[in-house]
Amino acid sequence: MTRKSRRLWLVCACVLGLGAAAGLTLNAFSSNIVFFMAPSQVRAHPPGADRTIRLGGMVVAGSVTRTHEGETPIAQFDVTDGQAAVRVRYAGILPDLFREGQSVVAVGTVGPNGAFTASEVLAKHDETYMPKEVAEALRASGKWDPKYGKAPDAASWDTMTVKDARHDLAAARGPKDGQAE
Amino acid sequence: MSASQTLAARTGSLFHRFANPGRFLRLGARLQPWLTWPALALTLIGVIWGLFLSPADWQQGDSVRIMYVHVPAAWLASSGYMALAVCSVLSLVWRHPLADLAAVEIGPVGAAITAVCLATGSLWGKPMWGTWWVWDARLTSVLVLFFLYLGHIALIRAFDEPQRGYRAAAILALAGAVDLPIIKFSVQWWNTLHQPDSITLTGAPTMSTTMLWPLLICTLGFTLGFGAIVVARLRAAVMESRARALLSARRGGASS
Amino acid sequence: MTHLPYIAGAYGLAAMVALWFGIGATLRLRRARTRLAAVEAARTRGGGDA
Repeated sequence: MTRKSRRLWLVCACVLGLGAAAGLTLNAFSSNIVFFMAPSQVRAHPPGADRTIRLGGMVVAGSVTRTHEGETPIAQFDVTDGQAAVRVRYAGILPDLFREGQSVVAVGTVGPNGAFTASEVLAKHDETYMPKEVAEALRASGKWDPKYGKAPDAASWDTMTVKDARHDLAAARGPKDGQAE
Repeated sequence: MSASQTLAARTGSLFHRFANPGRFLRLGARLQPWLTWPALALTLIGVIWGLFLSPADWQQGDSVRIMYVHVPAAWLASSGYMALAVCSVLSLVWRHPLADLAAVEIGPVGAAITAVCLATGSLWGKPMWGTWWVWDARLTSVLVLFFLYLGHIALIRAFDEPQRGYRAAAILALAGAVDLPIIKFSVQWWNTLHQPDSITLTGAPTMSTTMLWPLLICTLGFTLGFGAIVVARLRAAVMESRARALLSARRGGASS
Repeated sequence: MTHLPYIAGAYGLAAMVALWFGIGATLRLRRARTRLAAVEAARTRGGGDA
């Protein structure tokens, strides 16, 4: 029995020691593990012009302009974390999920004027999963406009079925439909 | 006194060695149908529900359906490794022979489900994020888990004397268990491209129940299926080792 | 259905892995059972000590 308990304590001690070592290491390197920098961090500590960084944040509603340079589409938009905004310029095709109010991660460099030139733009999905009808019902009732950020508290919509949502939508559009008919 | 104690412990472990696998075979044979058939039924229901009956996501469209495979696979990748770590403690501390056999059998199944998790995530990432792969904390830590599985599979089979392989692999599995909390909390500790968990213990799930139900059923089905495959492999392994022991005992008996 | 190739790929891969391991485990279990039965039968016939 003593041998077993000695082995047990040894295993516990090793796991604890290893866990502590891993925790300290991760803590020490946590700035390198971060996948992207927020606009306020970029503003506060602008990286060198030759350093490629990843900038993450929400696309500001109404800030997107799309033009063309020959064949390549050029998109410009502001990325914000609520405290600061950075103007991003990207030449290329944006991912499907890109829209105003969406979180994105742009890979690129910060120019001397503070503008960000992206070589790649990734859309960051959030943890919200809802059917199209529910999203439309929330929008119609004025509870949520996806252009201005995250969905409202999940408890207010996550049990709403597609049928409920259609019903709500029909009710919201009711008077208009009545006039049309 | 200590001598008699170790002798007692030894006889105990000897008893352990021969009695327990037999009991496991009886238990496993009774357990097997209760794992296999519900697993098949629940997975079938969950997949049909997820593929054809649940709604498409307002942003992701139909690619949200990849979640019904990806999330259960991710859950099993971590749970399978947790099971491996538990087997390792049983093996290192109590020298439980069944735990060693279980570790041998869990490894490949866990590695395969981790590969499924990575591949389905990639298949979702390409159309949604716009990339197959990024080196963010969540994806990297799961890739590390996959390599830990591969290392375990290789190490446990690397020695001529199986006991040494069991010991080395158990130490690797335990050390690698550090990766599990890193995977779980990576999306909270660091900002990642991967989205945070939708289902938490503290808050309402940020997922419509019309998608949550098929997801839960798929997860339960996959988990039972994982259990069924591991139990079947373990039963086979116990039978194989028993047949081997009988054969060698016969040969040993003939020679002595 | 949007993104059909990706969805089909994900489900196809999962199904292939499940089938491979499921069938593999079933066959292995069957083989082990018959082999163990054969060895045990040989032992009782051989009259070795239990």
